Amino acid sequence: MTAAIDVSGVTKTFGKGALAFTALTDIAMRVEQGEVVMLVGPSGSGKTTLLSVIGGVLRPSAGRVALFDTDIAKRSERELPVIRRALIGFVFQGHNLIASLTVRDNVQLVLETRGVSRRDARRESDTLLARVGLGDKLDAYPAQLSGGQRQRVAIARAVAGDPPLVLADEPTAALDAHAGLAVTELLAELARERGATVVIVTHDPRILGFGDRIVRIADGRIVPGNEGAS
Amino acid sequence: MAVHSRAKFVGTLLGVVFATLLANFQLGTMFGLLAKNTLFVDNAGADLWIVPPATTFAQPGQRQSTSLLDLARTVPGVQRASAVVMVGTSIAKPGGGSEAITLVGVDLDTMLGGPFNMVAGDPDVLRVRDTVIMEDAQRERCGGLNLGSLREVGGQLVRIGGFTWGLLPFGPAYAFGDLDLVREIAKVPSDELSFVLVDVADGTDPASVKSDLERRIPTAMVISRDAFHDLISYTLLSQQLGITFGVSTLFGLVIGFVIVLLSMYSAVLDNLRELGTLKAIGFSNLDLMRMLVVQAIVYALIGSVLGLGLVAGAAEGIRSANLSLVIPQTLVMITPLAMIVLCVAASFLAFYRAARLEPGIVFR
Repeated sequence: MTAAIDVSGVTKTFGKGALAFTALTDIAMRVEQGEVVMLVGPSGSGKTTLLSVIGGVLRPSAGRVALFDTDIAKRSERELPVIRRALIGFVFQGHNLIASLTVRDNVQLVLETRGVSRRDARRESDTLLARVGLGDKLDAYPAQLSGGQRQRVAIARAVAGDPPLVLADEPTAALDAHAGLAVTELLAELARERGATVVIVTHDPRILGFGDRIVRIADGRIVPGNEGAS
Repeated sequence: MAVHSRAKFVGTLLGVVFATLLANFQLGTMFGLLAKNTLFVDNAGADLWIVPPATTFAQPGQRQSTSLLDLARTVPGVQRASAVVMVGTSIAKPGGGSEAITLVGVDLDTMLGGPFNMVAGDPDVLRVRDTVIMEDAQRERCGGLNLGSLREVGGQLVRIGGFTWGLLPFGPAYAFGDLDLVREIAKVPSDELSFVLVDVADGTDPASVKSDLERRIPTAMVISRDAFHDLISYTLLSQQLGITFGVSTLFGLVIGFVIVLLSMYSAVLDNLRELGTLKAIGFSNLDLMRMLVVQAIVYALIGSVLGLGLVAGAAEGIRSANLSLVIPQTLVMITPLAMIVLCVAASFLAFYRAARLEPGIVFR
């Protein structure tokens, strides 16, 4: 079966000359379709950089990054948004919702971007928001919600339109312990319901149990021997 | 407004409203002044004018022979032709001093070139001996004129028989009197006139009558009402009027452009994270450009409607015999389009910044 993510020989260096800093070194990583993978490591280890490279928002300096057999590292700037739109849902550390749009519009916007008609997008966003427990907050603005509720909206937005891959960057960082667990559980549940592959970057040990596998990273390298642990 | 705070939304709208208001106010004033200077030609009732060569305004100046009038009357298709004598003179004030006026002598049988926009009295009052019709806006200036007031015009005692409204070109205000009375006051010989006004018979092509008149009267200029209107407008616009109002209109547009540009650009700077999020989730630069352009069009439409509303209010508020804003329908229709062009152009700096934004910003 085609891997959801197949990364090999990926290196990422920022800056040039004496100021050059290598954030990732010769990374190889494979994630099968439908897996929920926890990418863990200390601050500055390169986990968010790796997630950015996998998400096609940062180009690797070298190496191959294939999503469902599509090598995105070689795609043009014009092609990358199309690939991201078709394949990836994002959950960010901050909720990153559009403040001037309602909860419903935040989700609907993504669906419409993915080519869903306005009417269907509205219906699907309402269903999704009800699924994440926010059926009564459709017309609320992000500022009117708690941190946990905002992150639930972000999860609904990430899975809207059924992208086959969901990338989450420390989704519990801004939440208390209870909300963090609930949000991660919801994300894993929704992804499994929809057959999506999920990579969650975290350094929160309490949520590791929601993953099928843990991948550890330190100093820009995958730590051998930890893959497969759960 | 996906990437705009309420305060910036209001700020940008104010920029568009300001540009609309200032540009329309300036252009409206200019059209008002143009209208005041073409009013006489527009309302004289003549299809064709026979004027001295190189004439650019309907104002006192070079005189022509009354033989032109006789010649004009012999041209087929001319229904009526009348002489108009236009002279510069003054009306004496009761307390001393005088006020300049442009006195128009009219053939009372045809009333071509006669008074219009009457607010008191009737044009036929000119049949009463030694009677003139004055401009309403001059009443106070001329020492409290009223119907029946007696004043010296050009040293001759006349009675005020009526008032017109708003007949104030750049020169002195118009006053009207019987042709013979005006000749007498200004000592214009009976074989001289200022203009011949021609009324073309119904069903006759004015252009062919004009050609015939030009052939028969090669020493004068024959010009249609519309062409004379355009000539006066062109002359005024090509002199100071066009430059003055053109520059101030341009300033209004430039200031509005800068306000919209800065406001939209700063909105993008304030919302880099949101824009980065949109890019990360798959918005292309083209999508962002569409979003900003739609936003710019919304600003342009709301702002121009509000601005035009304010201009209409201002036009009503300042309307007087001396000044009136004239906003032609074409200007009302062009304004939203011009504002769309302005706002879309102003949105490009914001787009340039948004396009350069790395979607990776969302992970920092």
